[in-house]
Amino acid sequence: MRIGIVCPYSFDVPGGVQNHVMDLAEALIGLGHEVSVLAPADEEAPLPSYVVSAGRAVPLPYNGSVARIAFGPVSTARVRRWLTRGDFDVLHVHEPLTMSVSMLAVLSAKGPVVATFHTAMTRSRVLAAAQGVLQIVLERITARIAVSALARKVQVEHMDGGAVEIPNGVTVAKFSHAAPLPGWPGECGPGRGGTLGFLGRFTEPRKGFPILRDAFVELAAARPGLRLLVAGPGEPDDLLGRFPAALRDRVTFLGLVSEADKARMLRSVDLYVAPNTGGESFGMILTEALAAGATVVASDLDAFRRVLDGGRAGLLFPTGDAAALGSALTDLLDDPARRAELTACGEQVVAHFDWPVVARRVLEVYAAAIEATDGRVIDQEWVELG
Amino acid sequence: MPGMWWWVGAILVVGLVAAYLSWTAGRVERLRVRAESAARALDAHLLRRAAAAAVLAERRYGVELYAAARIALDAEPEEREAAENDLTRQLRAVRLDPADPDCEAVIAASRRLALARQVHTDLVRDARTARGRPLVRLLRMGRRHPWPRYFDIDDPTLALPADVPA
Repeated sequence: MRIGIVCPYSFDVPGGVQNHVMDLAEALIGLGHEVSVLAPADEEAPLPSYVVSAGRAVPLPYNGSVARIAFGPVSTARVRRWLTRGDFDVLHVHEPLTMSVSMLAVLSAKGPVVATFHTAMTRSRVLAAAQGVLQIVLERITARIAVSALARKVQVEHMDGGAVEIPNGVTVAKFSHAAPLPGWPGECGPGRGGTLGFLGRFTEPRKGFPILRDAFVELAAARPGLRLLVAGPGEPDDLLGRFPAALRDRVTFLGLVSEADKARMLRSVDLYVAPNTGGESFGMILTEALAAGATVVASDLDAFRRVLDGGRAGLLFPTGDAAALGSALTDLLDDPARRAELTACGEQVVAHFDWPVVARRVLEVYAAAIEATDGRVIDQEWVELG
Repeated sequence: MPGMWWWVGAILVVGLVAAYLSWTAGRVERLRVRAESAARALDAHLLRRAAAAAVLAERRYGVELYAAARIALDAEPEEREAAENDLTRQLRAVRLDPADPDCEAVIAASRRLALARQVHTDLVRDARTARGRPLVRLLRMGRRHPWPRYFDIDDPTLALPADVPA
């Protein structure tokens, strides 16, 4: 199949949507399809061979953060040229309701269009006012994909349409084969040792870092050798200042890590802790931790319960309860058999999120969109083999 | 000469209205054609699932499943939704083994059917929304064709047996 994928955000800066697009494109190429990705990027930026630049992106404040996007006559011309040259069987756009090359591509497309919605934006006044304009974009889309149950709910309730829920994928091999950091995770026996991991912005309340800190401080006093490995944006002094002076040498801060280092970090912990208090629509990090073979302890949020298969692939604790987290951690650190059981189950769960598996489901949506455009049915074998 | 400007203005307005009307008519027509294509694809997927179920029923699971598949294949348009729902119920009642190629064919056909149904429902909704706009109704733009119809069946997705040990 000839597939054209459009990413609205610039590849110059890392981000969830950009990673999703790259992983999807690589998985589809791995399955034997021809893929071209259009995305805004600086001319001299190093890009993978399958990416075509839609020109430089302009930073614009949007929805509380800065988005780097491309929109305007030059971008329109580039989008049109890319569509004509590509002669795609199906066009797959991401986040088509942002003012971006995704929207331009939808408006210029002639054939079947598949759209993926990542964010679960709730109904805003802007959205309500622009409903008539959005309708013109939406009705050019043949099939819709939502990456989480929450994103799908927003589709159904606010945009008058269903969507197929296909979760974010994870490249399992990248995580399961990563080498742990030297000297980690170290020993972990009954009553001593063990490494806890946390990844994310520790200053953001919704990530729930204070809950993990309280549990760690409580636990570390009684458990010699217990260590905490933290990665994510923030200042080292700010992080260490949150711990009593006696415990600071048992906390290691890696700062912002690359994708490769993230995999190594997740391989370096005994228990990965996700103490989030809300705002997670999917729980990508949990699938990554599972892929790395870490045992996961997570707060009992809908999104987390779904990923952890109701608690069989990881331990759930009552959201926001530091004492419950503490006793869950103690139990697991002292019980290698239980950890192995959870990790084995996690391995099977995460196989459903492996990119080649997820990409096959996306291909079936492509087939449905193509069929709905010309009324002919595509064979299952053709979908699977390309 | 103020009279000339009146004429220029009037012609401009008429031109804009005409452009908007022809764009709207094109939009209604485009969405109708697409909904019809989606209906053909849905029809094909329904037939495929029923055929796959019939093949499976001949080998195992027997009479009831075979009868449901036959009825779904032969149903008149007005009875078809009920017949398809009945087939879905029959398929859910039997235990399908994904390792068996005939079972796998039914599972795959059901999955593809679920997608075709979802897409069809969305496209029919788009077509009906466009056709229901006041201006479109007033000018009876779609009158040469019947309204696109929903195909109202339960989600045909088959719950897979859990492959994760309990």
